[in-house]
Amino acid sequence: MIRLTGVELRRLTARRLTVIGVLAVLGITAFLLFAIWQDARPLSADEQRVAQTQYEQVHKDWVEHGDENKQMCEADWRNMPDPKPALEEMCAFREPTIDDFGKPRTVFAEVMPELLLGSSYLLVFAAFLIGASFFGAEFSTGSIGNWLTFEPRRLRVYGSKVLAAAIGLAPVGVVVLAISLLGTYLIVDQLGDTATTTGKVWGDLTAIGGRAVLLTALGAALGSVAGSLLRHTAAAIGVVMAYLVLIEGVFASFLNKAQPWLVKTNFDAFVRHDTTYYLNQCSSSPDGGYMCNSIEKTLTFEHGAWYLGILAVVVIAIGAAVFQRRDIT
Amino acid sequence: MPELAISTRGLRKTYRTRLGRKVVAVQGLDLDVPVGGVHGFLGPNGSGKTTSIRMLLGLIRADAGTMTVFDRPVPAQLPEVVGRVGAIVESPKFFPAFSGRKNLELLAEAIGVPRKQVGEVLEQTSLGERGKDRYKAYSLGMKQRLAIAATLLKQPDLLIFDEPTNGLDPAGIREIRETMRGLGDQGRTVLVSSHILAEVEQVADTVSIIGHGRLLASGTVAQVIGGSTAATVKVAVDNHEAAIRILTAAGMTVRADGNYLLVDGAEHPADVTRRLAHQELYVSELAPVRADLESVFLELTAGEGLK
Repeated sequence: MIRLTGVELRRLTARRLTVIGVLAVLGITAFLLFAIWQDARPLSADEQRVAQTQYEQVHKDWVEHGDENKQMCEADWRNMPDPKPALEEMCAFREPTIDDFGKPRTVFAEVMPELLLGSSYLLVFAAFLIGASFFGAEFSTGSIGNWLTFEPRRLRVYGSKVLAAAIGLAPVGVVVLAISLLGTYLIVDQLGDTATTTGKVWGDLTAIGGRAVLLTALGAALGSVAGSLLRHTAAAIGVVMAYLVLIEGVFASFLNKAQPWLVKTNFDAFVRHDTTYYLNQCSSSPDGGYMCNSIEKTLTFEHGAWYLGILAVVVIAIGAAVFQRRDIT
Repeated sequence: MPELAISTRGLRKTYRTRLGRKVVAVQGLDLDVPVGGVHGFLGPNGSGKTTSIRMLLGLIRADAGTMTVFDRPVPAQLPEVVGRVGAIVESPKFFPAFSGRKNLELLAEAIGVPRKQVGEVLEQTSLGERGKDRYKAYSLGMKQRLAIAATLLKQPDLLIFDEPTNGLDPAGIREIRETMRGLGDQGRTVLVSSHILAEVEQVADTVSIIGHGRLLASGTVAQVIGGSTAATVKVAVDNHEAAIRILTAAGMTVRADGNYLLVDGAEHPADVTRRLAHQELYVSELAPVRADLESVFLELTAGEGLK
């Protein structure tokens, strides 16, 4: 099994699609860093002039009409039926400052978790694609039959391919996330704010990165299983895209309560260590109206970990059972 | 030392079509392939040759029956004998974007064969200089040679070639034929499935003929040909009408073939000359038409859907 996995790793790294996929992920990562740089860089002289002009106009308006606007707002508030928002919230016409018209400073500790989550989506998708092609191509070229005449123990063959996909793609995750993390830090350190990056922040970011690497490996393994089950890369990707669009997109938008059981919500909960989602709770009011409130819910890390773990075990086991029994024609 | 390299009893395989219809590919096949030499596995297209081979190699599951390879029941004990078996099923199938050498190196590493052996088998199959080229750039003949090289990595005792000359040019066919014969002469067992009889007749020591997934005949080439009812004598005689009347009256079957008569059912060619001479008809030419594997094959597989 170890020898077979080694052979499969050599094959994985020698494949053109693996190289293209990894280069594409690195290219997108470079683009994301460019976007961070764009976001963090200070305004140009022209942009600053525009911001100053806008500020002066708004400030002038506030000086001339601020009190008048506030009185009108308070009058409107008094006429509103209950329940109504707090007066201070609704009619707080504070004096504008120039900072309101500039660009907020980029804070490393705030942007990095979201960037890591975004990178993990990209990595898992790429790993799934490469994994699906890695195993699926063997069926489409017919080489799996030839391979099995050399090693007929199918579970070993299956295990070696799934394991090689996972082991082979995990380092890609490490490299990409390390580039994202360090690249963003260097950019924000020059142009934004890294002062709040405490040891705990680094620890949290490292943990998010570690979990994203784990999911990259899992994505590659599940991709290879999908390639094996569907026997074609395009079919595997088609099925996953259809699932994401129909179930995670359309179905989830109609069935709000299904959110804790969606892959994406659990993925987020696992990577971020807890995530929030919103449920619409609607009710009829005594005056005959119908009101909906959005209620924030938390999906725990543990839920996400169990969900993804069970999903992986079930899919890999189904793949093994099918591969063990399937006729190779 | 086993006497049989391959043995199957009551081997059966049924497929379902996309429309759900059952198709029996192999029905109760009893096949014996002796150790050593070349064994031709003959049958029309769709007669179950490839399905049988795939079952032997564990690629598809048999519905019923037993199989042994070197006395080991397969597929249960296939891992124990697979190192002694090299096989090419239908067309060679390798990773197209890798070079021939890379493909063989991966296979060699998978079965623990030293990498230097890859160079040796490439040289043996005259692919040494093209080993670094991508597999997809190979001609059909080169692909076939690479597949043979792959089987030789194991230094197998049993080689299974399924329709090995499909798509090859005459030179390629001859090359493959000589390779098979050479392997047989080395004492290895070569099972070659084919529906091209001339190629098998030239190399095979023993043959099995199947049709509709059943064994129709088996034995040495001479035995199989000898068992045929097709003992025909070709006769040249002046008076065709009289000769046909005389020989038919003697229980023989006669048909005209240009200037000749083809006579079936004579116990011995001398019977034909004696009966005609007795009626003062003298034969100017007489030759037994040698039964060949093709005529036996066609006779046995008549109505089996030969394409």
